Amino acid sequence: MELNYVKSDATGEEMYYGKHSSGLGVYIIPKKDYSKTYAIFGTKYGSVDSKFVVPGEKELTDVPDGIAHYLEHKMFDQPDGSNVFDKFSKYGGNANAFTSFNMTAYLFSATANVEENLETLMDYVQSPYFTEESVQKEQGIIGQEIRMYDDNGNWKLFFNLLNCLYQKQPVKKEIAGTVESISHITADYLYKCYNTFYNLSNMSIVVVGNVDPTGIAKIIENGVKKNEPFDEEIKKVYPEEPKEIAKSYAEQNMSVASPLFMIGFKDTDTGYGGERLLKKWIEINILLRMLFGKSSALYKDLYEKGLINNTFSFEYTMQPSYGYSSVDGESRDPKAVYDAVIAEIEKTREKGLSKETFERIKKVIWGNYIRSLNDVEDYACTFLQMLFMDIDYFNFIDAYNSVTFEDLQKRFDEHFVKERSALSVVNPS
Amino acid sequence: MDGLKINSNINLYYIPMTKLKTTTIGIYIHRELKEDEVSKNAVLPYVLKRGCKLCPDSAKIAEYLENLYGASFGASVLKRGDDQIIYFGFETISDKYAPNGEKLAGSVAKLMMSVIFEPTAFEDDIIGQEKKNAKDRIMAAMNDKRQYATIRCAEEMCAGDRFALRALGTSEGVDAVTADGLKAHYENIITSSAIDIYVCGDADINALSEEIKKYTDKIVFEEANIPKSKLFESKGAVKNVTDHMDVVQGKLCMGFKTGISAGSPDYTALTVMNSVYGAGAHSKLFNNVREKLSLCYYASSNLVKDKGIMFVNAGIEFKNFQKAYDEILAQLETVKNGEISELEFTSSINAVINELESYRDDQHLMQMFCLGQKIAGTNYSIDELKEKTSKVTIEDIKNVAAKTELDTVYFLAGKEEE
Repeated sequence: MELNYVKSDATGEEMYYGKHSSGLGVYIIPKKDYSKTYAIFGTKYGSVDSKFVVPGEKELTDVPDGIAHYLEHKMFDQPDGSNVFDKFSKYGGNANAFTSFNMTAYLFSATANVEENLETLMDYVQSPYFTEESVQKEQGIIGQEIRMYDDNGNWKLFFNLLNCLYQKQPVKKEIAGTVESISHITADYLYKCYNTFYNLSNMSIVVVGNVDPTGIAKIIENGVKKNEPFDEEIKKVYPEEPKEIAKSYAEQNMSVASPLFMIGFKDTDTGYGGERLLKKWIEINILLRMLFGKSSALYKDLYEKGLINNTFSFEYTMQPSYGYSSVDGESRDPKAVYDAVIAEIEKTREKGLSKETFERIKKVIWGNYIRSLNDVEDYACTFLQMLFMDIDYFNFIDAYNSVTFEDLQKRFDEHFVKERSALSVVNPS
Repeated sequence: MDGLKINSNINLYYIPMTKLKTTTIGIYIHRELKEDEVSKNAVLPYVLKRGCKLCPDSAKIAEYLENLYGASFGASVLKRGDDQIIYFGFETISDKYAPNGEKLAGSVAKLMMSVIFEPTAFEDDIIGQEKKNAKDRIMAAMNDKRQYATIRCAEEMCAGDRFALRALGTSEGVDAVTADGLKAHYENIITSSAIDIYVCGDADINALSEEIKKYTDKIVFEEANIPKSKLFESKGAVKNVTDHMDVVQGKLCMGFKTGISAGSPDYTALTVMNSVYGAGAHSKLFNNVREKLSLCYYASSNLVKDKGIMFVNAGIEFKNFQKAYDEILAQLETVKNGEISELEFTSSINAVINELESYRDDQHLMQMFCLGQKIAGTNYSIDELKEKTSKVTIEDIKNVAAKTELDTVYFLAGKEEE
């Protein structure tokens, strides 16, 4: 496998990357003098992908909700009956995995025996072994994971908001599925999903740490078990999502101390990835800070009135197929916060955005980018998530530099629309 | 580690970490955890954060930080054993990454000093807002059920001891705070507390030391030391406590006395014992309570370093209480009997070493490591602790496990279970 090399003058970061003939993307970011190395091996397959057409087949495959996450759990079982955690533990590696809406990833961090840990990672992710008995056994564990989230006010708040914003988009469904949906998962279903989405042409591996890139690339190359890339793309089938939101308000009672709120704005400028998507992400992040950040007039007003406290925060979440901004916190009066947010947006629409504030806040985005390169874990995870959206996080600076004040004004008008906003509230029971 | 002594109370420590792209400053003001001031200490950092001579209000502080490429500034209260710590943390990208050659670390330090030594926000309306926020934080402890179960277990286990107090104080205590009272309290603690300042990253520490002295030279200090923590002692029979809440999953927290202080030569063996028993996917709790019996998603143990306490946490079906309880104790028995496989043993030693080594890549963890050593009265380097860890034997693990005794069993159950 041929490795390409890039270096960024702005950050001093270096990267080696290549594509293996199996289709596997390989990205190695050396971090001089670091103690820890972090490797993440991921597939572009998450909880939203439960309807798809396997390459070479004609019929649609429809699997139970929660299967991507279930599959992630079952990957830790080995054909010889052992648990893969044991192998990592022996080498002092700290292994884990996660499933999100759009990806599943297997990872480890280690301060010694990086080679052995990496070999283990390559090996087990390519060694599925499911039996009806082992699949059955997991129901109890995942059932308790689902239960744990059922008692989490912020989690429910978030999904209730997604159910306001989206009518059909499967992102509104819980990642782990439900106790009912997972009861239909079988070993056959798991193999079907595995054989589709864990084809190496749908996967990438990112290694960040104090490593020798050539040596690491060799281990990855030697670790490839099946070199049969798909000729065609895996067709993922998603329902058509209307621009309109499903509903503007949701509430639930739970055992929380004071009301929790989350306000969302549905993004309808979707359907693309790459630098264009990253640019949008930067624009909306700047706007969110300008409108709701700690130096904003709205923050000061709400804070001094006691309508928000230090838990107040905001975020923009992006994917090629969907996106939304969210503003959340604790408040004795969530509706008053929502009204103030909408009023601030209307006011800003009338009087316009401040160019001076834009220039200042834009600096924050750059600082946050530099900061995100510090921790091997955050860096590798962010890099892979972005990669799956066709974004080159290494060259963040290109998208960053292209953002202008005019772009921001357009984005503001297009994104912050009252009709596409919703409020989710969790009240104390 | 040796620091630069600013005066009798203030120590400044520099940990160069230039491989990272940030520079972090942490200020730790140590106070003895006690009822008559715990709530004042819980409100104070949030009031200091509201304004200082350099930046008169929150919005100005935010703008100042935004201009420094989004440097961060946080304040909170921590509890380490019987030590209540008022904490301020700052982080900025290091000067060499400033696009226009700005002196970011120096500017952050300037804000830090103004916040600590020149606060201006002791006004009734601000105090009122921060009292409300402090009470929100106290109440919000119930939102995270797993953490709440541990807090409640500690309260019950240590009832009557200082350690039972929460770092966030009490609602009644917060109610009693006044602007004048808090200002007087501030003036008292700034001159009568041990204060540690840690700088990690890339900074000119001698210049910073001189800057700090410009502020402190004008103040008369009353010599103070870091509060000592008392080792937990059992009060007799095992205590069983159940609370009821509107929840669908039960949260079990079991508190154990370890009898081993952080300064004890046996402490390293205790960390390995904890790893064998319940800290990680190689541990007995994970492999038996979760993997073998499928009773839970998480079951783990952790140490309260300065108190000689170990907690075990698990999230379970209400009806599985007894099964989980029995298995958690049965697994402890296997450790006490030295029934530890070669794999469990090696994995645990490696896990502890891996954790120690990984501190070197994280400025906040590095500060916590150094601060933890200081509070415990030890002065080990990471390498020394790694070396000590590698020498722990199964016999050592058996010996420390033998001292471990169950003290309190706390269960957070559903409303229907009443």
